[in-house]
Amino acid sequence: MKPATAPVPDVATSMPEGLKPFVLLEGAVTPASLDDQVLKFPAQRPPRAWYVAIAFTLSLLAIGLVSIGYTLYYGIGMWGNNRPVAWGFGIINFVFWVGIGHAGTLISAILFLFRARWRNAIARFSEAMTIFAVMCAAIFPVLHTGRPWFGYWLFPYPNERALWVNFRSPLVWDVFAVSTYFSVSLMFWYLGLVPDFASLRDRTEEGWRKRIYTVLSLGWRGATSHWLHYDKAYLLLAGLATGLVISVHSVVSFDFAVSLVPGWHMTIFPPYFVAGAIFAGFAMVVMALVVVRKTMNLSNLITDDHLDVMNRLILAMSCIMGYAYFMEGGTAWYSANPYIQHTFKNYVTGFYGWAGITTITCNIIIPQLFWFRRVRRSIPAMIFIAVAVTLGMWMERFVIIIISLHQDYLPSSWHNYIPTKIDFGVLVGSFGLFFTLVLLFARVMPVIATSEMKASLPGAQAHHGGTTL
Amino acid sequence: MTSAPFAVLGLYSKAEKIIDAATKIRQRKLGHLEAYTPYPVHGLDHAIGLGPSKLGKLVMVMGLLGTGLALLFEGWTSAVDYPVITGGKPLFSWQAFVPVMFEVTVLFATFTAGLAMLFLFNKLPFFGHPVLHSKAIKDITRDKLALSIEQSGAALDIEAARNALLENGAETVEVVELPAWPRLTLVSLLRSMAAIVAACVVAGVGIYSIQKLLPVVLPMVHMHDQPKLNAFRSSTFFADGRGMQPAVAGTVARGHLPPAFSKPEEAGQILANPVALTKQVADRGHKVFNDHCAVCHGTVGDGVALLSRAYGAKPGNFMTAEMQKQPDGYIYGVLMLGKNAMPSYAADLDESDRWAVVHYIRILQRSQNAKDEDLK
Repeated sequence: MKPATAPVPDVATSMPEGLKPFVLLEGAVTPASLDDQVLKFPAQRPPRAWYVAIAFTLSLLAIGLVSIGYTLYYGIGMWGNNRPVAWGFGIINFVFWVGIGHAGTLISAILFLFRARWRNAIARFSEAMTIFAVMCAAIFPVLHTGRPWFGYWLFPYPNERALWVNFRSPLVWDVFAVSTYFSVSLMFWYLGLVPDFASLRDRTEEGWRKRIYTVLSLGWRGATSHWLHYDKAYLLLAGLATGLVISVHSVVSFDFAVSLVPGWHMTIFPPYFVAGAIFAGFAMVVMALVVVRKTMNLSNLITDDHLDVMNRLILAMSCIMGYAYFMEGGTAWYSANPYIQHTFKNYVTGFYGWAGITTITCNIIIPQLFWFRRVRRSIPAMIFIAVAVTLGMWMERFVIIIISLHQDYLPSSWHNYIPTKIDFGVLVGSFGLFFTLVLLFARVMPVIATSEMKASLPGAQAHHGGTTL
Repeated sequence: MTSAPFAVLGLYSKAEKIIDAATKIRQRKLGHLEAYTPYPVHGLDHAIGLGPSKLGKLVMVMGLLGTGLALLFEGWTSAVDYPVITGGKPLFSWQAFVPVMFEVTVLFATFTAGLAMLFLFNKLPFFGHPVLHSKAIKDITRDKLALSIEQSGAALDIEAARNALLENGAETVEVVELPAWPRLTLVSLLRSMAAIVAACVVAGVGIYSIQKLLPVVLPMVHMHDQPKLNAFRSSTFFADGRGMQPAVAGTVARGHLPPAFSKPEEAGQILANPVALTKQVADRGHKVFNDHCAVCHGTVGDGVALLSRAYGAKPGNFMTAEMQKQPDGYIYGVLMLGKNAMPSYAADLDESDRWAVVHYIRILQRSQNAKDEDLK
């Protein structure tokens, strides 16, 4: 935003609606007003709606815990997995949740490198969602090992059996990719929070809350000699996390692509998975942000234009997904391989054909509504599309895993897969865990990165300034 | 304890003003110059005389270290310490090592960037810094930009610093005192050591009592608890609690025909070795002898072995002239019925094994008393 004295060219007012610069702040926002608006929540009693919401998510979580209890006590046979569908809900949900996380890192790292200022207001929230999503994701493969209390066997460590993990297996790459992703996301998130914890510390009255914020802020005092290294570290982390986020879902896709199962053994899998992950993640972020900006009165910081930009990204990703699906069909046709062709036909016509049709409808057709500006800015419309995309992306993983596995090379080993109640229970529980953590986060931590926002408020910097896209 | 002035803080609201002031005050060399701001102000680091951060170089080094360590570790485990061929790939298949190398590189680099920035470069956590105890800190982490003239070596000239800040547009000025530091005394040292010892004791007793007192719920024990035969335990399969059941009355298992003699001497008169000596039979006899007989009779059958010496017993020496003269059937009979301290081996060895052992004892006797023509 230009200083008030600068003459505004006439051309700006006569521009078509779509070419106008984005409004990323509504009304007057100063550093002090920003703090008062964003950092007041921890000191307040949450509204009744918050208690209702957390009671609901905790009940979902309880369902999940009971289902996990069944799984632990009676064993993995409580799940619907069978031969040949050895990867059932466990892996579907794992891929789904890891994918949800990717939007957060895209917003916090890749858009940071691109200097897309609109990310500042939503970065913190989506980073938090990344961490919670990866936590949800980790539940599934660990349970799927059958004996989760031996989960540490996944890591290479010197042991009395003189065994090492097989570094030529994509499953081991996955262990490294997901655990690195989680620790790096946590580090990134915490670094961003340190200056905000300092602000919270200094505005909180004496008491146990202040003590917690004091410890969490590590005694941050905002010294310029500290900001120097802090900025450098943040930039480096953004660059490293960019490569990481692309590698993580690529490695997840290697679990499939490196095998010989028809429908999995394709070179398009890594980019296809990364695009799908960002697609699903953005839908989840939009869904959550719509609720947060409404209930926490943050509409002046997270404006309609923020949602508009996010919806454009969802549309772009939807088109990439459409291309990927088309490409899969092209591969099946051009390979002249009857097994791959059979699998591809199964996607839309077989026992599970409804899943493939749902996937295509929710992921490719419905998001096309975002071509219309009115749809991109309408809250009910975007909630509908975001829910559709979430459902569609979950279904896509169902299609990839179940349909490819249930009928592969040998017709004598074909078998249908029916998930059990326990399968659904663990899935519901993971949603409960995710939204419980989101609600707790919104309650006790700054949902908007205030120090980052302050740095880009109009007039905050000496030589350049203003919030533009 | 008296407190000493640490710094003079001047508060500003505008980024241009603080950068301008910092540039001017820096030339007057009143003390160490530092600024405290709620967000990074671009150009302020340059204005107070800071060079670029060296963090990037350290991150580069640590990242490459991660790459190298990952490659070495993967290569060592896959090709040296635990070489197992999988998927027909070479043992050192570096292409397959790339994903993990990349992840470890990122892990090392990011943790260096984050932790070195906080702990090494910025020397955090530090809760005792004087500025944290100033009145201005509430504004500094909120919306004010503070320029600070701090003591460095020589004592701070408070008046000169205050005037310099006010002349250069500071809105308010605050003198920050050094907080009263807790002194290290013998009592405080002993107290902290006692605290560490107490923590260890509590942790140890806690872990012990958790393991001892809390019931451990074993999940998924159905496979472990299934009905099955365990060595030296009674079984629930049969009413008599035995796992192996005795033969049905009036039946005989193959190779276990009851003996038709009551003394070994009788056996020597009525039995001849029905098994022809072949290389196979001799090898079998060798194995059975070493498994069952050698522990007392010795590996060469001279009655000297570890166990016989330890017990002080006198097992048969097959090399005596008397033993050499005994017929095959006699040795077979001893195997079946036992002699002196030796129990019956009728249940352990079947008929062909018994005769194989007899052959082997003959071989031993010949080898221990070899004649010249045996060498031809």
